[in-house]
Amino acid sequence: MSSRRRRSIFDLIDEYFDEWEEWFERFGERLVERPSWNQKTCAVEPLRDIMVTPTEVIVTVDLPYTEESTVQVKALDEDTLEISAKMKRKIRLEELGITHYKGEFQTFHCQTRIPVPIQIDKMAVRFKKGILEVRIPRKHEYTIPME
Amino acid sequence: MSEEVKIVEKKEIPPGTTMLFGFPDVGLVGVIAASHLIEELKDFEEVAFMDSKLLPPIIVLHEGLPHSPIRIFGNSEVLLAVSETAISADIIYPVMNALIEWGKSKNVKMMISLSGIPTQDRQDVQELKVFAAASNPDILKMVQEKGIEILKEGYMVGPQALMLQRCATMGLPAVALLAQCFLNYPDPEAAAEVLKGLANVTGIKVDVSKLLEKGEEIRLRARDVMRRTQQEMTKMKKTQEYDIPLYVS
Repeated sequence: MSSRRRRSIFDLIDEYFDEWEEWFERFGERLVERPSWNQKTCAVEPLRDIMVTPTEVIVTVDLPYTEESTVQVKALDEDTLEISAKMKRKIRLEELGITHYKGEFQTFHCQTRIPVPIQIDKMAVRFKKGILEVRIPRKHEYTIPME
Repeated sequence: MSEEVKIVEKKEIPPGTTMLFGFPDVGLVGVIAASHLIEELKDFEEVAFMDSKLLPPIIVLHEGLPHSPIRIFGNSEVLLAVSETAISADIIYPVMNALIEWGKSKNVKMMISLSGIPTQDRQDVQELKVFAAASNPDILKMVQEKGIEILKEGYMVGPQALMLQRCATMGLPAVALLAQCFLNYPDPEAAAEVLKGLANVTGIKVDVSKLLEKGEEIRLRARDVMRRTQQEMTKMKKTQEYDIPLYVS
């Protein structure tokens, strides 16, 4: 006999909200507007773009003012990349015309979730004209159950 | 001029000028080029600004004083309409319409939009090309004779598209100059190229070396305006410019 308990409508609602909360935690950063720089961590969020092709995912990140040797790309899990880079020098907010906040930046930092399954261990990275390009082969392991 | 959008003049506007447009679009080419022109052209000052309830509740503070996000700079030969903030796709039509009608009322001799055309392999392109489209065959021929390649077929989306179409309807000479650029990242090199194209077509010449020297700093500064421009470009389906056209004629 199956030990599975039949789920009540309340369980389903709880599950729905749990899923929604998880989704919001993952993608909420896109919905809630916030500054693109963080005074506490002295980090700036770079511009980035994701292109999905039939064979690979191409992530590009605009990293002006950075030294190539400081660019780091880490796989946080099977579909999330963390990208950071150090600028050539500290940039004070004042230099960018902001005088009503005090602070300075020396790093770029962002996390990017890839929207399709990928082979993250096979990513290839290049840095040209201050733009980081990460190419990751897509994972095609779909099976469609036949009845 | 539309009741909804007013151009408020601060100085007397001379007739017979060339009117330029530098609006947020791909690679922020137009805005970066406009900003450089404002720095480099002699006797260039704010001569008018846009006042409209259609604009978002934004002012731009310079030295503690408020300014409209859409302003017109000028001297005796050139007018330049520039926006310091991304313009919502919903209001581009009335904004461009008002500027073009105002320009016509000032008897401008030609309108030129400075912008970009995205290219997928931009990182690997060594020499950026500048393309042009025009409001009538004579202007197109003139531009072609200056060595600028013509954008023969395809789609154009955004402020420059409306400028060309409106000027064609009103019989005003107009050119859209488009430098190859990044779609989503500020591109000072493309801005320098479009300014070279402008010099070629009109003789309005500025030194672009500072623009290239300060390229990385400009990219850093332009990050937030680019981010907001990306959102508006998505709404106006900017990537349609990559589409392969289907012609009926």
